[in-house]
Amino acid sequence: MSDNKGFSLNCTQLLDYQPNRYPFLMIDHIEEVVPGKYAKGYKNLTNNEWYFPVHFPGSPNMPGALQLEALAQTLTVAITTLPGLKGKVTHALQHMVRFRKEVLPGDKLIIETHVLSWKRGICKGVGVAYTGGELACEADMLIAIPEIFEQYLPKKNSTIG
Amino acid sequence: MDNHSKYTQAFVKVFSVQKDVVEDLEYNAISAWDSLGHMGLIAELEEAFNIQLEMDDIIDFSSYKKGLEIISKYGVEL
Repeated sequence: MSDNKGFSLNCTQLLDYQPNRYPFLMIDHIEEVVPGKYAKGYKNLTNNEWYFPVHFPGSPNMPGALQLEALAQTLTVAITTLPGLKGKVTHALQHMVRFRKEVLPGDKLIIETHVLSWKRGICKGVGVAYTGGELACEADMLIAIPEIFEQYLPKKNSTIG
Repeated sequence: MDNHSKYTQAFVKVFSVQKDVVEDLEYNAISAWDSLGHMGLIAELEEAFNIQLEMDDIIDFSSYKKGLEIISKYGVEL
């Protein structure tokens, strides 16, 4: 998986590249990923999602924080599919997100993320998500693989933050 | 702008501090120079001087003053 050819990941294969698990895995399927370049996938939102009964009773919609999480998790896959990074844990460093519409039970959240740069354990990227052919949210994201990133920090207090 | 001013300006820009305080700055001494700020500073300096810092130098870059020594190693006259 070190070349520039795209491939897909089903819900089982995805678990090798995305460390999040139920109830916090926000992607069902990666339709195409080109390691280090981009990842595109989706999340089908059923009435049974754990957050709909509480967010909100009588007016269920996907929390914005979880929409952003879906974008970040998809961007993560574009990085963790690079050679030697399978299964690595990523952390969020800085995100800027804009929400455009409510994401509702029954929607298919289609996610597209692109890597702008990947250097020293830090990925700068962008992502958009759609439902019903309309933009639902978009984000500029900065994620890191601490195991790599922290190797470059001055030794005192060398933790993220 | 001379190289020393460019060096100082990188700190001013990345950490949003006044020029007259940068000489005493050290890693983690201010909230802006945290782990993310460190990487931002390195990226800013690499772009400003068109250089690529080695891993050991990025780790050793623990203060404004120490950084002067490190950047000088890359042929930048400060």
